[in-house]
Amino acid sequence: MADPKVSPVEALSPASRAWGEIGPRSDKPHWGMVVDQERCIGCWSCAIICKSENDVPLGMWWNRILTEGDGLDQPEDVRGVGLEMAWLPLACQHCENAPCVKVCPVGATYHRSDGLVMQDTDRCIGCRYCMIACPYGVRNFNWGVPSRPTPHETGMVQARPLGTVEKCTMCVQRLAEDQVPSCVWSCPAGARIFGDLNDAGGRVATLIREREGYELLEEAGTKPSVRYLPPRRRTPL
Amino acid sequence: MSAVTSPAAGRPSLASRAAVRHGRAPLVAWLALLLALMGIGAAAFVYQFSTGLIVTGMRNTVMWGQYILFFMFFVGLSAGGLIVASAGRLFGVKAFKPITRLAVLEATVAVILAATFILPDLGRPERILNIVLNPNPTSPMIWDITIVMVYLAMSAFYVWLYARADLARRGSWLALGTGTSPRTMAREERVKSAMAWIALPAAVMLHTITAWIFGLQISRGFWYTSIMAPMFIASALVSGLGLVILIALVLRRLGRVHFQNDLVAMLGGLLAVFIAVEAFLLMAEYLTALYPGAPEAAAAGRMLSGPYMPLFIAEVVGGLALPFLLLAIRPLRRDPRWVGVAAAIAIVGIFVHRLNLILNGLSYPNIELPPGLPVGVAQAGPSFLQSHWYVPTIVEWAIVVGVLAFGALLFTIAAWYLPMQEPDAH
Repeated sequence: MADPKVSPVEALSPASRAWGEIGPRSDKPHWGMVVDQERCIGCWSCAIICKSENDVPLGMWWNRILTEGDGLDQPEDVRGVGLEMAWLPLACQHCENAPCVKVCPVGATYHRSDGLVMQDTDRCIGCRYCMIACPYGVRNFNWGVPSRPTPHETGMVQARPLGTVEKCTMCVQRLAEDQVPSCVWSCPAGARIFGDLNDAGGRVATLIREREGYELLEEAGTKPSVRYLPPRRRTPL
Repeated sequence: MSAVTSPAAGRPSLASRAAVRHGRAPLVAWLALLLALMGIGAAAFVYQFSTGLIVTGMRNTVMWGQYILFFMFFVGLSAGGLIVASAGRLFGVKAFKPITRLAVLEATVAVILAATFILPDLGRPERILNIVLNPNPTSPMIWDITIVMVYLAMSAFYVWLYARADLARRGSWLALGTGTSPRTMAREERVKSAMAWIALPAAVMLHTITAWIFGLQISRGFWYTSIMAPMFIASALVSGLGLVILIALVLRRLGRVHFQNDLVAMLGGLLAVFIAVEAFLLMAEYLTALYPGAPEAAAAGRMLSGPYMPLFIAEVVGGLALPFLLLAIRPLRRDPRWVGVAAAIAIVGIFVHRLNLILNGLSYPNIELPPGLPVGVAQAGPSFLQSHWYVPTIVEWAIVVGVLAFGALLFTIAAWYLPMQEPDAH
């Protein structure tokens, strides 16, 4: 799955191409992402470009923005310091100890050597055990024949068949071109940073260290490759 | 009650042959009904296969529904029936002898049904062979499919072992060339004893591993408890013994087996004990979950005060307290009709228990922040759901009824053809 149909990156102007380049990495990269909750403005740009890039069918989202607060767009006094609000962009966490990889009966969901969790929709039998096992709820099942707003395939990857599970691939088709995932370059607030977790001096590892990046549902022990930087708002709303 | 007193095994007596002739018309009608229901189920399956699981009530939030529910329910019926049968033999409970054969047959048919219920649950049933070609050893589902297959082969052999001598006496080829010489019969007894030693742990493991499919998932707080496997065994014993009692009463009425009412009272007492164990484990689970008052107990709390409260009351009051009371009252326990009623209620109660496990385990996503999980289908209305109220569709019901009819057909033919009565039961 996720083989590029064309090479969209080659068509980019040199400036655009440079904008999306991954940058320095270690000898053996473990791809990861940092999501800065202080910067996220909850605009859903990353969720929309994800749908377009990966041709995600109607009714499914590989990437979505949860609202931390009392209901949708309602600030809440969580810590007793006044009203606060933050967003939690949520897609596959590409866990090192991935529950989905453990439970898949046929090995259709598996690890790449660079740490990414992949889904082989040609092997998937559609038992949905991975969706049971995933604590983050980021997996989608093709319940019906996938339907899209236009009959034209807008995405840069192969469409997934009926009766199989699909999810975020960290845009492997772009990684192959040394380009960051689409949700990263398209974020207007620069809230997503992509890079090599193994590169101790790299931007991703430094941010996690300095900003006390946390793992979502750390108690589940999944060791995600996506980390969140908590908001540092000093004065509440 | 049939006046037939001779054992149905071996050469049928004149009286039982008359019963057979008499019973043929209803039998044919029954088989025709089952075939019709199977046809409806098959049509529904073809429809679902071509359209996708969108025709079910399942969505991204409640991604397992009725098929998995019936799968684990039938695994329980099978394990429970075989545990009772083999434990009776293992611990030398001679009184269980008249029901051993039907319990073993019930266990075999039930596990076949359980395996069948997996098929319609798959999004790509035509790829089922991937389970054999690319098994992932860390998947509890692979462990479970392995034990289901081993158990199926074992219980089928068990059925044959009990029927073998009678088939040989009839001259049937199904005896596979074995005879009834004293030496063979002695060896058969030894094999039966050995089989009881294998069958009991196999039946326990069957349901334990099925429990692990659910109980090992840290993502589902309502399931992630070590009491899951013991509770599955207790549920299996209640529902399995309940079904054995019902089948025994029906087959006695049809003149296929013979036993005294004492046995019914004894089985009823045993069922009451099993129900008490189930209630005990349920209490232990809920108290442990709720006592700290921590947010992790949200799911258990929903059972007690949320939208699922009626189902919880049905499970505890209707499924446990009521049958226990019926069986605990001595005059009622000595009346086979009341034992039958209690057994039927207890089976339904276990079904509701498993329904509650599925519904409450899955209806709310692990991260409950708005807007929730994507629905997974293109529809008018919201694209996200924070909770999903699962209701099975008519297609799911048609497939389930079709599979149930298949099981009833298997059991009817086997119980009609194979001798059900142990020859030396009296």
